[in-house]
Amino acid sequence: MTTRKTLGLAAAASLLALSGAWASEINIAREMDSNNYDPHKSTALAAAEILFMLGDTLVSIEPDMQTLAPGLATSWEVSEDGLTYTFKLRDDVKFCDGRAMTAEDVVYSFNRWLDPATASPVKWRAGEVESITAPDATTIVYKLKSPFSELLYQLTQSFATIIDRNQVEALGADFGIQGMNGTGPYCWESWNPRDRLTMTKHAGYAWGPDFYENKGEAQIDRLVWQVVPEENTRTIALMTDQTQITQYVPYIALEQLKVAPNLNVVQSESAFWTYFIGFKVDHPTVADPAVRRAINLALDQDALARDQFFGGVQGAQSYISTATKDWDPALEASLPPYDPAAANALLDEAGWVPGPDGIRVKDGVRLAPLGYFFTGSTWQKLSEYTQAELRKIGVDLQVEIFDATVAWGKMATQEFDAFGMSYPYVSAGDALNLYFPSANIPTPNRMNWKDSETDQWLAEGKSALDDATRAAAYGKVLAKVHDANVWLPLIHEPRTVVSSTRLAPIVPHSNYGAALYKGLDLKLVE
Amino acid sequence: MINALVNRLLLSVPVLIGVVIFGFLLIKMAPGDPAQIMAGPTATPEVVAQIRQQMGLDQPLLVQLGRYAERLVQGDLGRSLISNRPVVSELAAAVGPTVELMIASLIWAVPLGIGMGTIAAVRRGSWVDRTIMAISVAGVSLPIFFIALVLMQFLGVTLQILPFMGRGGPLWTVDGLRHIAIPALSLGLIFVGPVARMTRSSVLEVLRLDHVRTARAKGLTERRVILRHALRNALIPVVTLIGLQAGYLLGGAVVTETIFSYPGIGRLAVGAILSSDFPLAQGTILVLALGFILINMIVDMLYAILDPRAQKS
Repeated sequence: MTTRKTLGLAAAASLLALSGAWASEINIAREMDSNNYDPHKSTALAAAEILFMLGDTLVSIEPDMQTLAPGLATSWEVSEDGLTYTFKLRDDVKFCDGRAMTAEDVVYSFNRWLDPATASPVKWRAGEVESITAPDATTIVYKLKSPFSELLYQLTQSFATIIDRNQVEALGADFGIQGMNGTGPYCWESWNPRDRLTMTKHAGYAWGPDFYENKGEAQIDRLVWQVVPEENTRTIALMTDQTQITQYVPYIALEQLKVAPNLNVVQSESAFWTYFIGFKVDHPTVADPAVRRAINLALDQDALARDQFFGGVQGAQSYISTATKDWDPALEASLPPYDPAAANALLDEAGWVPGPDGIRVKDGVRLAPLGYFFTGSTWQKLSEYTQAELRKIGVDLQVEIFDATVAWGKMATQEFDAFGMSYPYVSAGDALNLYFPSANIPTPNRMNWKDSETDQWLAEGKSALDDATRAAAYGKVLAKVHDANVWLPLIHEPRTVVSSTRLAPIVPHSNYGAALYKGLDLKLVE
Repeated sequence: MINALVNRLLLSVPVLIGVVIFGFLLIKMAPGDPAQIMAGPTATPEVVAQIRQQMGLDQPLLVQLGRYAERLVQGDLGRSLISNRPVVSELAAAVGPTVELMIASLIWAVPLGIGMGTIAAVRRGSWVDRTIMAISVAGVSLPIFFIALVLMQFLGVTLQILPFMGRGGPLWTVDGLRHIAIPALSLGLIFVGPVARMTRSSVLEVLRLDHVRTARAKGLTERRVILRHALRNALIPVVTLIGLQAGYLLGGAVVTETIFSYPGIGRLAVGAILSSDFPLAQGTILVLALGFILINMIVDMLYAILDPRAQKS
């Protein structure tokens, strides 16, 4: 090659680089990486947002988070006793390596999820399974020991992604680390942990959920998921088109991003990610129902959302979003209003007397519950704001923060009186069955909430054979735990997506917080 | 020369042993439970205890250290608690980008610092000298994260001529060069000031020596006197300074890599420490210590080249 040719090629490469590399490659910025991409082993949002694109589930859910839609299963039937689910599978589905997906792959995927050797932390989401079989190439029979009314919703989660047995066996412990061969609209290309994961479009993909306008091949050739831990860098990268889309934007920058001419800001209508402070109901101070009620009356969640999150989130008075399936609208009238005067009066009546420093005391015990919280700017804002507001009614919330790697261990103990937590959910049952069964003490039922009625209603809701029975049962649980003020709800966080105007606007999804969901609506504006 | 190198290598062994022990103890003192991390947030206390036993974390500290050292000499640094990948592979992937970043920083910062210091010395007391010294003081005083954000704003946002996020590729590619430019400028800037100041004082000292006066008396041009007779001798303390500053450069790389999402050893170390990924954190400490030792060895060799007396001694 002559020097001139070499220089010419270099110049062309430079131009290509300056013009933003590949024509249909986009960069997606995110805050953190997942520890792995094995659907059965990671509960991280960072894993879910990748797995929804790399793989598919039998059932999909629409952005309204209420309506189920066919996924890899074209249809399903539920037996009258609620114990047998029969799924009819598509017969045209292929894994990224070109192999046709069969019913055996589905059976293998679910059995691996349930296998004790897998030690899946989300095994409970599959229900009490009797057996999963494939009577023919396109039929799956999913038999339960007891009815599980949440099953179809749980099967929309990334944990129910159909995986490739051959690859799992070939990679062993490195499955989800060195690769994940799925049937999704994108295929795994490479992963450099804590840096970037790249995926390329799945040629021949034609089985996208019906609610997407595009059900066929992805419209972007290559996606680069770039980990950008610094929120300032993410924001500036968006404004300068170095990244084209992210759902990890600092709320303080939201107004600035909204007026930027090269960016679109969209927010999901629903907010299925809730932040709350839970109370250990058998610990001194917060064991007093009056204290918990007063704390709930003392916090103005709408002001919190407005002042600390610049209106980017919704103030939460309820434990789950009021748009959640099986939320009981009748409860809304009884949710604690913001009324610090009533909070003070309640504490006075309960015998909590203000001490010389303004903090209330009863029988020699200071009203100073110890709270454990996570590190990070969101929990810093939430815990400090709550602490300041509670001081106004004479409650001295002691805030101790821990890194996530330490916090989970600390929060499995009985050392604290209150704890901060956030969680995604798909339905009322999903949320309630996680946090409130007495069998889940000490974790995730860190409140030590032990109530036979709750357990009974949860069981009724779980095994309900029709929507009305289920909603009624979960409604009773919601009423009981709200009335007992077991939590202090803080905010509901919708999915906010900021994208380049070079991309067509998308509809943010809320499934497990993965706003881009399957990414089938990602496309460059022509 | 070879003997000196071998001696230096042998002297590095106790340093490395010290680093291994210190790094091990440091990580043990850090909060966080590796067994809990491995088990995940929803694991029961029984599962966590089982994993703790499997990992040998229930053994006395000395036993744990012995086992760690045994694996280490076999080249096994364990697996990352977070990604489950071998620590060696994670380190191997991160070392290259950091070396590139350091080279890209030094390649412009050292010549510039030496040039600025020499000019300041030659024009001592003039406005040029004062301006250069003022810039040097600013360079020494400004924190690296501030320099990084200013450069990001100016070159990346206002002018929009350079990217500032991630690594575009190896240093020899166009995209790689474009992506490393702002991080290398940020990191290099912390180097320019000290090098310029040291060069200035060193050149001033050498300019007063007899051999420089002799060179001038022989009728050599001022440029030749400065470059050939003064600067070479003046560089000896500058090289020492560069060796000492290399540690700061590695420290600066931690900040720079984090701000620019650059996938090097500094960011890996921060990520490992923040996520209590103990095997990986120990690995990064070891690599950073090795890097420091290696840089100092290179500096010693350069010292010998610049000053033949050092070679003889």
